[in-house]
Amino acid sequence: MPVIDVVNLSKAFGPKVVLSKVNLQVEEGESLVVLGGSGSGKTVLLRNIMGLLTPDSGHVAVEGKIIAELSREDLFTVRQSIGMCFQMAALFDSMTVFENVAFGLRRHHKMTEDEIRARVEECLGMVGLKDTDKLKPAELSGGMKRRVGFARAIALKPKILLFDEPTTGLDPVMTDVIGRIILDLKHELGVTSITITHDLKSAFEIGDRIAMLFRGECIACQAPADFKANPHPVIQQFLRGDADGPFLQDPPPPKRNPQEAHA
Amino acid sequence: MVLAVFDKIGAAVLGATDTFGDFAVLAGRAFIAIFKRPFDGKNLLNQFNSVGVNSIPVVVLTSLAVSMVFAVQLAFGFRQFQAEGLASQVEGLAVMRELAPVITGLMLSGRIGSAMAAELGTMQVTEQIDALECLATDPIQYLFVPRLLASMLVVPLLTIVSVYIGFWGGYLILVGVEGQSAYVYGHEFYKLLAFRDLRIAIYKGLVFGMIIALVGCWKGYRTEGGAEGVGNAPTSSVVTSSLWILISDFFLTKLLLV
Ligand SMILES: Nc1ncnc2c1ncn2[C@@H]1O[C@H](COP(=O)(O)OP(=O)(O)OP(=O)(O)O)[C@@H](O)[C@H]1O
Ligand SMILES: [Mg+2]
Repeated sequence: MPVIDVVNLSKAFGPKVVLSKVNLQVEEGESLVVLGGSGSGKTVLLRNIMGLLTPDSGHVAVEGKIIAELSREDLFTVRQSIGMCFQMAALFDSMTVFENVAFGLRRHHKMTEDEIRARVEECLGMVGLKDTDKLKPAELSGGMKRRVGFARAIALKPKILLFDEPTTGLDPVMTDVIGRIILDLKHELGVTSITITHDLKSAFEIGDRIAMLFRGECIACQAPADFKANPHPVIQQFLRGDADGPFLQDPPPPKRNPQEAHA
Repeated sequence: MVLAVFDKIGAAVLGATDTFGDFAVLAGRAFIAIFKRPFDGKNLLNQFNSVGVNSIPVVVLTSLAVSMVFAVQLAFGFRQFQAEGLASQVEGLAVMRELAPVITGLMLSGRIGSAMAAELGTMQVTEQIDALECLATDPIQYLFVPRLLASMLVVPLLTIVSVYIGFWGGYLILVGVEGQSAYVYGHEFYKLLAFRDLRIAIYKGLVFGMIIALVGCWKGYRTEGGAEGVGNAPTSSVVTSSLWILISDFFLTKLLLV
């Protein structure tokens, strides 16, 4: 049984259809990477899995439980085993970095203050933010906030992790560090994860399988090697990073040749 | 033409029912959540501080101003019938029964209700409330309950403070300016009052505190649409809770005074 099972999921906001009949299965211990253009509904997909949005039709099941049908108590029980890293970090701005990362530990674990401190320092150390624990989120840079959000998501050692663009806005070195942490979690703790990213290099490193959302549909979901070889023109254009092709709805501005551009 | 009018009325009624239903559901969940574990003492203490201690100056100043101006009016009014002695009795009645609870309620809806709406509204639009949900924490329990409890305790307490200040506001005018005897004033102020009146004032404070916290939290929780939404939440929370304070004051008075 897949740990995360997305079945015929459709979601629209008013007339705007964001997801239509998306099917995705993530097996235990597997790491799925979701690619897709900006605004293609990747965040909406994660929010449906988390139960922050209710599907218009279809359903999401986590460990066999259909999220939209759970009572609030059961939903919170399921969520205790899921860590989510938000695209905009969503740190609690009235708390310090330390309190942010410790939040879940304090509420759901019977840990002593020393154990909590040790775990928080470990998590912050992993993302290279050892000395920031007394700062407020307002005093952090965008990339630092994102890393604190990442640390908060992994602090509870959840079985399932959902990352919404954990590396966007980070420098290439830090991006690699985050990729390594995700792989470590997978190999050491057997974590099941879904990672949304725009960074193709880390996508191919992290992903056991790669899915691609395009105009509300999931047009591919396969192993990295197969994905690279997928003949679908949209996928090939996406991998090349070229503006010309079927990916954009409106034609892009014309391309100049390099000499002209630098003249 | 006629149908269109009915359509509009129907839509408005449905909209209002929806809104009220939403409020009622959240309020109900907040009351149930009061009894749920884990109990967050630290958070509650923080709320007592920001809701209670910091509101004392506002309540003291407004109660003083209102009770003084009321005493001036009473002294002037009763002088026309040569009945100055009644001024202190009526002052006591008015302060205890209406002025203290209502002024405290209205001031605090501006002072703490709006702050709650702004804070929760900001948390909503910056996804902090979603983050709470994802950390398996019920935002109703984590955010509503401490504010509700703090406000239900603080508003009655400040109502009593307001009565006390009201006594001295009247004293300043009737004894200080009008030259009545201090001993007589101290006696007359309470003459028309019974212990029941203090109890009613406290009940009113309790209900007003409930209205302030629930409306403030609800408006904040339901904020959408970025900075503009966050800007509207406090205004709309103050207007709504003031309205409900005045309406419920009427019914509480009607019910409890018989
Ligand atoms: N709450 C909402 N109300 C209305 N429309 C929404 C809402 N949330 C998302 N949308 C719409 O859904 C579409 C997909 O949004 P989503 O945030 O999932 O994009 P995304 O794939 O995460 O993009 P990005 O890579 O830029 O983060 C967008 O066109 C957006 O306008
Ligand atoms: Mg997104």
